[in-house]
Amino acid sequence: MISAQGLFIAFFGLAAVCFGVAVFRTSSMVRSALALLFSQTAIGAMFLSMQAEFLGVLQIMMMATEMSIMAIFMVMFMMDPGGLGKMEMTHQKGLSLISGSIAFMAAVAVAVFVDWGPGGASPPDAARQTRELGIELLGRSMLIFETAGITILTAMIAATAVAIQPLKRSGDR
Amino acid sequence: MTTLLVLLSLTVGVYLVAVLEAWTTNGHFRIAAPLCSALALLGRESIVPRKADRIFFEAAPILLLTSALLGAAVIPLAPALIVTDLATGALFLNAALAYVLVALLMAGWGPDGAYAMVGGWRFLGQVIAYAMLIVMPIMAVAMRAESLLTTEIVASQAGLWNILYQPLGFVLFFAAAMALAFVPPFDLPTAQGELAGGVEGEYTGVRLAVFRLGRMVLILTLAAATVTFYLGGWQGPLLPPWAWSAIKTLAVAATMLLAGRMMPRIREAHLLAWGWKLGIPLALLNIFLVGVLVLVLP
Repeated sequence: MISAQGLFIAFFGLAAVCFGVAVFRTSSMVRSALALLFSQTAIGAMFLSMQAEFLGVLQIMMMATEMSIMAIFMVMFMMDPGGLGKMEMTHQKGLSLISGSIAFMAAVAVAVFVDWGPGGASPPDAARQTRELGIELLGRSMLIFETAGITILTAMIAATAVAIQPLKRSGDR
Repeated sequence: MTTLLVLLSLTVGVYLVAVLEAWTTNGHFRIAAPLCSALALLGRESIVPRKADRIFFEAAPILLLTSALLGAAVIPLAPALIVTDLATGALFLNAALAYVLVALLMAGWGPDGAYAMVGGWRFLGQVIAYAMLIVMPIMAVAMRAESLLTTEIVASQAGLWNILYQPLGFVLFFAAAMALAFVPPFDLPTAQGELAGGVEGEYTGVRLAVFRLGRMVLILTLAAATVTFYLGGWQGPLLPPWAWSAIKTLAVAATMLLAGRMMPRIREAHLLAWGWKLGIPLALLNIFLVGVLVLVLP
């Protein structure tokens, strides 16, 4: 007998896979980006079904802005962003098919053959989870997260610095 | 039962906000105005532009309405009158309203029209400007309440409302909420008279009716969120809690709609510059000040 929780997880998991497939089945860059967004949203909903409320809400929130920003970059950089010109945008199909299949089988093998140990007892309630996550982030894991944050900030500043056109000096034409 | 009650109050609230919007736009206070325009919209042909991206075109108004409704689900109208009191309520509100951006992008891209597209991408820039100014003031509010539960946040203001405890956060949040609801002077994505309606320019008939309804629910949700975070929620003397929620929410909505009417529409570049050069430092200062207050005051 499948529980309601299992049913929800399966539903959102399937939705995530379907949207993931849609990412590659369309030629429109905006459709592709938003399909990826809704795939990630479905993963967020999976977190919610697994009673990881904070992570689920965070995932659902972050992805909306991130993927929308990605959409505008895809529109800017691709030659046929609307997919109306029937431009072929795939390449190395055979290689990607093989590597994709291998990765998929590896993931399934890991999921099936690893001894995950006994499942956790009933998870703490959502308010407690949020509190414990906060204490973890500002305690033991603080250095890791701060390092990651500084690294990303450095990359952002560097990218902006590279993108800005240098000012012309007075003598230049 | 609670959900039904909340939906009913939302319906009444949205109607009143629509009356207020009509009043602030053309100066006539007519109770029947939204009903007349809704009937007119429903009676009109709903045209689909040539070469529209049908999925986006159809989904955008519904997504706008859904995200605004989901945001309203975590707002308490009275101590027990809340659809779902999530432990991450204040964060969930952000998560739901993040999809307003997605809806407007869809509405911009979907119809394959130049003005709509400009409007949609403009809103993306607008999000970059206001997003932090929504999240960071809420963070300071949650710091005082020591909880993300919206009911706890209201309860934490029993002694002193947050508008007095952290006025800086209120000003930032209020401006950012106006930008999120794209009311003037932040109406960059619709921009009547400049983009001919922008993202809603290509919509007609029933689709436009749903889009406008979504926009009204969004304004109402943000007004109710402002009340919850800064104006003590349902708290107040004499009247019952729901009445105080209603009065405060409508007052905030009216202020939102009136505030920008006399101002010229802000330019995208100026909005971004103000958001990042002025808004974010002030929001950080607000967090610092609230942190000090939380530690110093009992």
